[in-house]
Amino acid sequence: MADYREAPLATRPKTLDPNEYFNLSPDYRRAEAERAALRAGLKRQYQLQLNNPHRKELIEDPALNRWVYARANPYNHFKATKKTSLLGALFGVAPLFILYYVFKTDRVRSFNWMCAGLWVC
Amino acid sequence: MLKILIPTLFLLPTTWLTSSKWLWPTALTQSMLIALGSITWLNNTTDTGWTALNSYIGTDPLSTPLLVLSCWLLPLMLLASQNHLSSEPMNRQRMYITLLATLQLFLILAFGATEMIMFYVMFEATLIPTLLVITRWGNQTERLNAGTYFLFYTLAGSLPLLVALLMLQNNTGTLSLLIIPYAKPLLLMPFGSKIWWAACMIAFLVKMPLYGMHLWLPKAHVEAPVAGSMVLAAVLLKLGGYGMMRLMIVLDPLSKEMVYPFIVLALWGVIMTGSICLRQTDLKSLIAYSSVSHMGLVAGGILIQTPWGFTGALILMIAHGLASSALFCLANTNYERTHSRTMLLARGLQIALPLMTTWWFIASLANLALPPLPNLMGELMILTSLFNWSAWTLILTGIGTLITAAYSLYMFLMSQRGPLPQHMLALPPSYTREHLLMALHLIPLLLIILKPTLLWGWFAC
Repeated sequence: MADYREAPLATRPKTLDPNEYFNLSPDYRRAEAERAALRAGLKRQYQLQLNNPHRKELIEDPALNRWVYARANPYNHFKATKKTSLLGALFGVAPLFILYYVFKTDRVRSFNWMCAGLWVC
Repeated sequence: MLKILIPTLFLLPTTWLTSSKWLWPTALTQSMLIALGSITWLNNTTDTGWTALNSYIGTDPLSTPLLVLSCWLLPLMLLASQNHLSSEPMNRQRMYITLLATLQLFLILAFGATEMIMFYVMFEATLIPTLLVITRWGNQTERLNAGTYFLFYTLAGSLPLLVALLMLQNNTGTLSLLIIPYAKPLLLMPFGSKIWWAACMIAFLVKMPLYGMHLWLPKAHVEAPVAGSMVLAAVLLKLGGYGMMRLMIVLDPLSKEMVYPFIVLALWGVIMTGSICLRQTDLKSLIAYSSVSHMGLVAGGILIQTPWGFTGALILMIAHGLASSALFCLANTNYERTHSRTMLLARGLQIALPLMTTWWFIASLANLALPPLPNLMGELMILTSLFNWSAWTLILTGIGTLITAAYSLYMFLMSQRGPLPQHMLALPPSYTREHLLMALHLIPLLLIILKPTLLWGWFAC
């Protein structure tokens, strides 16, 4: 087993439960124990920061930073695939032409009606 | 006019000569007195409409609301910037106030100009203090990119305007705003006329911004410090609208055919940018895209050239200026506490800062055009005049209004309701300065409900 030692009364995760051991390979058990140790280290860091009495700023979450950066910079990673080109044409190019056509025909028709005296205001 | 111009000009020696203890109170008092003095312009006494007129500058019912807005904004900008500048060396603080005061001076000269070339020069001149404020005092590394986009989009759009104005001067002999409504229309070859029309309008459409050319705005608004965001959202966008309203008179017979693509872009932009707002994670970016959305409606109202369209556009410009600037100030109060613009990080603030929630509530309601606020009045006038122009626009503007309500409420609920993040420790309570700032934004907005004819432009009489 790795150096992970849990608190005396804590429950073990399922993959480290001794009752489940008998059908797991030793490699798998070692890998699971290392992952549990990493997770516990991260939790410890968070708890240290959370309970630090001298902390004034927010706890930095690198996953949040990555997500915000990804949401704010889509154009750097844009690739012109069939799907993105179709979406761009459907929402960015076609509506402009469709709306131009709709407005123009509507206005021309009402202008002709007004000239012919058919437009009742 | 000199009553306001000379004190604004002398704000510059004031900032450099006062001692550091009295710098901010002095600058605030002087700019507040200028703002209160500028309200006297709202009294349009002459029959012809042009008051305070001399050879170079004058005010008329169209420019007066915008002038009062830009004068009103300077003390608000100073109030908002006081906190984040307090840690900087004195010379830099004085430089910042100097930049804001010169920006104010150029804006007053731009809105008050009676000659189009003077308006053009002042229009370009306002770019420089804004660029300096964004690139030097912005908080993230993207501010250089933002400044570049801001400068070059506007410059590229306005260079054709210079050529078009010079052509107009050559043909009509004058560019005075009092005379060109009565001048002969410009006779060029058919395609040349269309190019000339586009050259006149593109500068203002980029500044407004119109949907296709709006990329500079989210970058500039987000990266600017709070005073930069305030002045950009409240006044600089309106320079574009004002210029369009002035020039439309000259462009008349051509406009019937040429406006269609731009109205289509403006209205489609209302829906598209509104939808983008619903997906934003960054609070300032949301407010910036909402500015594009509202300005799309204003552009639509101006381009159809009807009295109600112009009136609605002017009212919406003023109301949006106050509401959007208020929202940027609120976003800045969040930023100063958490140093992050991510909305997820500053949730549930109603529990922590309940009085600020009141201001968030009123500002969000103003943004979503709640009656009887002037935002609704402007939007309704533009909606009805667009409906008269073509009945199909109602679908677009209706969906746009719905999406506006959706993202304004989303912004309010995201920042105020919900669970407070558990690791949030150091949230200083709201300063009185911040409450005063929000009150000075929203109380004029509420007072306009009582006398909206002040903002109706030429059609109030």
